[in-house]
Amino acid sequence: MNKQDTAKGSEPMVQIKNLSKWYGDFQVLYNINVQINEGDCVVICGPSGSGKSTLLRCVNGLEDFREGDVIVEGVSVKEVSHNRGIYKLRSKIGMVFQHFELYPHLTALQNITLAPRKVSKVPGQETEKIAMELLERVGIPEQARKHPGEMSGGQQQRVAIARALAMKPDILLFDEPTSALDPEMIRDVLEVMVNLAKEGITMLVVTHEMGFARAVADGIIFMDEGKIVEQGDVESFFKNPASERAKDFVDRVLVHI
Amino acid sequence: MAFDWDVIWRNKYLFLGGLSVTLKLFVLALAGGLPLGIILGLGSLSSRRWLYYPTRAYVNFIRNIPLILVVFWVYFSLPLISGRSLGPFTSAVVAFVIFEATYFCEIIRAGFQSVSKGQIQSAYSTGLTYFQMVRYVLIPIAIRRVIPSLLTQGIVILQDTSLAYVIGLREFVRTAAIVDSREVRPLELYSFVAIVFLVLCLVGSLVVRRLEARDRQRV
Amino acid sequence: MLRGILLTLQIGIISWIIALFAGILIGTFRTFPWRPLRVVGTAYVEIFRNIPLLVQLFFWYYAIPPLVGQWLNRMHNLGYYCAIFGLGIYTASRVAEHVRSGLNTVPTGQRFAGLSTGLSQLQLYRHVIIPYAIRVMIPPLTTEFLTVFKNSALAMTIGVLELTGMADRINARTWHGLESTTGAIAGYLIIGLSIITLMSLVESKLRIPGLIKR
Repeated sequence: MNKQDTAKGSEPMVQIKNLSKWYGDFQVLYNINVQINEGDCVVICGPSGSGKSTLLRCVNGLEDFREGDVIVEGVSVKEVSHNRGIYKLRSKIGMVFQHFELYPHLTALQNITLAPRKVSKVPGQETEKIAMELLERVGIPEQARKHPGEMSGGQQQRVAIARALAMKPDILLFDEPTSALDPEMIRDVLEVMVNLAKEGITMLVVTHEMGFARAVADGIIFMDEGKIVEQGDVESFFKNPASERAKDFVDRVLVHI
Repeated sequence: MAFDWDVIWRNKYLFLGGLSVTLKLFVLALAGGLPLGIILGLGSLSSRRWLYYPTRAYVNFIRNIPLILVVFWVYFSLPLISGRSLGPFTSAVVAFVIFEATYFCEIIRAGFQSVSKGQIQSAYSTGLTYFQMVRYVLIPIAIRRVIPSLLTQGIVILQDTSLAYVIGLREFVRTAAIVDSREVRPLELYSFVAIVFLVLCLVGSLVVRRLEARDRQRV
Repeated sequence: MLRGILLTLQIGIISWIIALFAGILIGTFRTFPWRPLRVVGTAYVEIFRNIPLLVQLFFWYYAIPPLVGQWLNRMHNLGYYCAIFGLGIYTASRVAEHVRSGLNTVPTGQRFAGLSTGLSQLQLYRHVIIPYAIRVMIPPLTTEFLTVFKNSALAMTIGVLELTGMADRINARTWHGLESTTGAIAGYLIIGLSIITLMSLVESKLRIPGLIKR
């Protein structure tokens, strides 16, 4: 096979190379470089509007970008973004959204089984079994037959995590998964995420939950105005942030906690 | 079969006459339908039962029957009321006012409902009477919000005026039919009529879209 | 009179079927991320929505047959077919608008969510966007369905003896115009009420649990 395949074992799971993106004339991402190794959990933080979520959506090709590339498991997102390869790639990258984005007309169980049934063509009974196992894993098997509108935000987000896991992804993307939740529900969702991180699934998490970052993250990225300002080890980021902006940010979030 | 667009130029005075009847009908339908629509809209929100129920019955009744039937019905019943024949133009105006007012009513009702209770209460708190409140607070706020919908309904009315054809009024479409019976050029004539309406209505909807875009910016 | 009602129902229902198919197709075109399709959809809607239905019917009935050939003119039910066809494609332009705004109410996040699990564009529409949008579209489409029956009255102008045409015919024969039109009005009210009842049944059947009813 080709070179990339043979080198796969030693290469990072996700490589973001010199990525730049514009909305019209307005540049939202400046020359982003990130590497994420298999099994790592990397947290992206920074003020709102700094381009975190946009960066996340570039990884699974939900947004296109003008310069640079994203390599996921040896596959160039730029190359496959114009053919059916993108669908195959996305099915291996799970994503969890700020506002859950469950399909309102389907039950929790149907939300989880839709992609396995339609994309991987797994028979219905089997997907239901897997879905029930996933619901148990996120702690809400009793909600299986309910519609999203009948569940609390925390329950919906846990269904959304189960939905992301249903395709057995190699990577999970989290886009501010707790910022739309009431405080007492945040813990339930974080608990699920901590367990996933401990199980060794590769995760890229946009969040303001610094407690989560300190507990399980292998690395942290601080972004501001479309640029990566700092990148590295979690503890040293909190103890002595190098830049003024990061210092400000850390002061503010730590006061909050 | 060769096209003969000259048929339109040859009959330009007939067409201008027809168009002016159409536009007159349009303006009168607006001038009568809008005020009646506002009154019906106020009635639809009234807490007095003797006002509310007759208003809603009237509006729902008219909205559920075809305009063309209203036109016929007025044409036949008006002479009974007035005792003498009033001709197709008066009948058409009456029918359009009766009919379009119910559509204006629904639009204006939505506009009234978009005015918050607080705004109305603050008007009363400064000592305004009901009619002053309606005149200076409710109508100005509500109308401005629904102007795009009102204009869209205006475009619909312009198209609706073509239905006066059925009671023999010599408006634009009837003119084309009359010319056609003499010249037998249906393709050119009806294409022409279609294009004139298309242009008028497209200009209208362009204005509506401008207004909507402007409103969105203000929000 | 009863024959008139039957014909009104026939014209209304068949045109509605045409309008639904064409309207859904064109409305969907207008939301596609491919410009030429959007342009076609927009042009269709603007043209058919901005010409009075009466003029459109006259166009199909008087202007087109001479172009196609005389055999069309000799056709027994020409007015009937023209009415169904004309009403169908006119209503399609209005249906398309409701379809488009219905599809646009589906939040972008839902598209992202579907795509992130690997669904293709087609699967996304089939399983996520359309099932959701249909529920949003039902109330405006019900109104439109009622409008089709009201608009079918225009078929009388091209010689079809549906409900309104029947009333007019009775008037011509007996000079009881007021009575015959009043009878026709009653006919439309009955049709309207039946449709409202039917559609509220459909609506409650499709209601999504936990979602606020509009």
